[in-house]
Amino acid sequence: MTSFLRRRIISSAIPLVFVVLGVFCLARLTGSPVDLYLPLSATPQQRAEFSAAHGFDDSIPVQLWDYLTNAARLDFGTSLRTGESAGSMVLKAFPVTLQLAGMTMLLAILGALLVGSLAAYRPNSLIDRIAGLLSMTAASIPDFWFAIVGVLVFGVGLDWLPTSGTLGGPEIWVLPIATLLIRPFGVLVQVVRGSMVGALSAPYVKVARSKGAGPKRVVFGHALRNSITPVLTVAGDLTIGLVNGAVVVETIFGWPGIGKLMIDSILQRDFAVLQAAVLLTAVTIFALNILVDVCHALIDPRVRQAVPA
Amino acid sequence: MKSSVPSSPRREQGRAPSVLALVTSGTMLLTSACAVANSDAAGDAGSADGRTLRVVLTQEPPTLEPCESSLTATGVVVRSNITEPLVERDPTSGKLDPLLATGWRQTKPTTWTFDIRSGVTFQNGQPFTAKDAAFSIDRAVNSDLACNVDGYVFGDEKLDVRAVSPTRLTVTTEKTDPILPLRLSFVEIVPRTTSTGAKVRIPIGTGPYAVKAWQTGVSISLARNENYWGKAPAYPRARYVWRSDASVRAAMIDKGEADIATALDHTSADKGNTVAYPNNETTALRLDGREAPLDDVRVRKAIGMAIDRKGIIDALLGGLARPAAQLVPPGVVGHNDDLAPTPYNVAAARALVKQAAADGVPVHRRITLVARNGMFAGISDVAEALQYEMDRVGLNVRIRMADTATHLQYQLRPLPRDVGPVALLIMHGNQAGDAAFTTSQYLVSDGPQSTFGTKELDRRIAAADALSGKARQKAFAEVLGYQNETVAQYAYLAHMRGLLGLSPRVRYRPDSATGDEMRLAGVSPAKAGRH
Repeated sequence: MTSFLRRRIISSAIPLVFVVLGVFCLARLTGSPVDLYLPLSATPQQRAEFSAAHGFDDSIPVQLWDYLTNAARLDFGTSLRTGESAGSMVLKAFPVTLQLAGMTMLLAILGALLVGSLAAYRPNSLIDRIAGLLSMTAASIPDFWFAIVGVLVFGVGLDWLPTSGTLGGPEIWVLPIATLLIRPFGVLVQVVRGSMVGALSAPYVKVARSKGAGPKRVVFGHALRNSITPVLTVAGDLTIGLVNGAVVVETIFGWPGIGKLMIDSILQRDFAVLQAAVLLTAVTIFALNILVDVCHALIDPRVRQAVPA
Repeated sequence: MKSSVPSSPRREQGRAPSVLALVTSGTMLLTSACAVANSDAAGDAGSADGRTLRVVLTQEPPTLEPCESSLTATGVVVRSNITEPLVERDPTSGKLDPLLATGWRQTKPTTWTFDIRSGVTFQNGQPFTAKDAAFSIDRAVNSDLACNVDGYVFGDEKLDVRAVSPTRLTVTTEKTDPILPLRLSFVEIVPRTTSTGAKVRIPIGTGPYAVKAWQTGVSISLARNENYWGKAPAYPRARYVWRSDASVRAAMIDKGEADIATALDHTSADKGNTVAYPNNETTALRLDGREAPLDDVRVRKAIGMAIDRKGIIDALLGGLARPAAQLVPPGVVGHNDDLAPTPYNVAAARALVKQAAADGVPVHRRITLVARNGMFAGISDVAEALQYEMDRVGLNVRIRMADTATHLQYQLRPLPRDVGPVALLIMHGNQAGDAAFTTSQYLVSDGPQSTFGTKELDRRIAAADALSGKARQKAFAEVLGYQNETVAQYAYLAHMRGLLGLSPRVRYRPDSATGDEMRLAGVSPAKAGRH
């Protein structure tokens, strides 16, 4: 198991290193942030002092070395925009996104399992066709459009929900979660349905039916367990996308999450914050991948054996 | 018989527990104590109790440092709310009014003397004296903090500032400065205990409100300064929140979640809840006269003739603008009332381009029209309209939409090299109220935002800058006319108008400074009465 874990960490760490290095170098190719932060008529001396103070006058390798050595001490620098610690800004924003992503995927998976299973139980029935239409529509709707229409209809028109914001009761979650939920839900319903149709026609299901198993036991006791793997694979990818930042939702609804922070950092050439945000999300995804691989290896010994030494 | 254990590829199996782990962690996070969302039923902007003025901005201020208040996002919160200057300019009349200075006069050609108001205290209880005023000016203008207000208002000018008594201040300039009091209206006064080594994030001032709390990413709360020296504002509290999307800001007004919303656009706002106002912003194409074919004045003038200003304003800007003939709007010292927008005349523009081509000007060389995303609502449509109109008169134009940082590279010196001829779509706001702030940046040959000029234009600008009163107005008006006739660095588009969302519960009259300096003390409940 230790050997397996070591191999998984090494193989998963390589992309992490590339992401961190890539973001560091590509960010600097977008140009110096000096013009954004100094007065219009700043003198060349002031520009030089600003660059020197923030290390922008050093070569890229020197800047990278400084960044890595400081990061090793958990010092991610200071935001050019706010003057705050980049690390603390990122740590404030990340839980916001994690909460949105966690709630969204929980609801998306549960909803998709229910609707997809119902649709698959009787292929081409009315329920199946309605589920197919809804899921295709949901997977195709642009999230920014859905968000704005949601604000206008449910926030202003019907006056059921707040338009935006993070302070309030459970109702503040509804529109952001619904906006985030709609696409993963649509995609997952289709995946569940496709996977379940195959499983329900498998010989072991026929055997279960022949032994008198009822519809619930057939669907949830036999077919669903064996068809859930591709669903969870897709759900995993969708979750990682959300952990990277639900930019549209955070922007429209005023949620101060990691996606909004990263976009603002890119636009403002706030390199320290951008690097800290990318590093944290990359490490989180890296850790999650390791964790799930370990869990999977514990469950299925074939996985441990499948990883080459 | 097929096994009930699926034999799917390893990756699918490997992913299976990941989702469970993520879902579990997400659920745990939802129930964790570190929830960002809490049970403040009033919402981000606060409750509609009539005692809190709720303002929704376009973005969170990066800082509330007073010496950065020439930045719109900072100034709209700080200026005249938290901190105050010595004098303030009436945005409507252009007249300077006393604030923390009760009077001022030019006592020598290069020296101005200010009488400092007594009986004023800062929000921390410290008394305000001339020493604080001297400190604040020194800090903003002469320090190494690289304050934006320094660059915007004073350039590289150094000031000799002295508190000659607790109630008297002298400011000496290197050369005669007839508008020094106007420049000082941009310097916000802070106590002399404020750091000079670093910018502060939350300031202390003498204004009618003090910062009560700044919940990063969510809101800024202000509380009324009960020791304010002037008339107490109507609302005991104020709260700023921010939403990037104009339709959400408009929706917050319509739903009653906010009382004031800044920078709405005509496509998403309910007309019943909005007020249009001139915001001093002027849009124009800056034509880089160093590069062919824009180095030919006929081509530059042809571009001015090719623009259908009225069509663009009516069709793309919702009628919220007026055709422009100069870079400064009415009300600014130096505005030339006699200048009319260049008539829209495609035939004449084509003829000028043909003339230039006949003289060997490479009119088919590709011109890059650079515009900034988000500069104003509908900017990409406007850029496409301008491209079409320039193409139609025989020029070859492509569009480059840029973010702020990239746009600045084109806007500020040193200008980028090897990018060919550039027509830069700019939006210039002269909030200072004097054409000198425009000419020094946009018209002089080596201005930070100018691509070229002429010695004669530079001479005229310098001469106008030394004048005051009516002579100054006349001289700058002539400068702007001369620019149009002889230099033609700009093809003007429009004097823009802002759109403010206003709840029926509040009474407020926006003016040309509202976008940069929203005085909360000027807002009152629709039904008169102090809370």
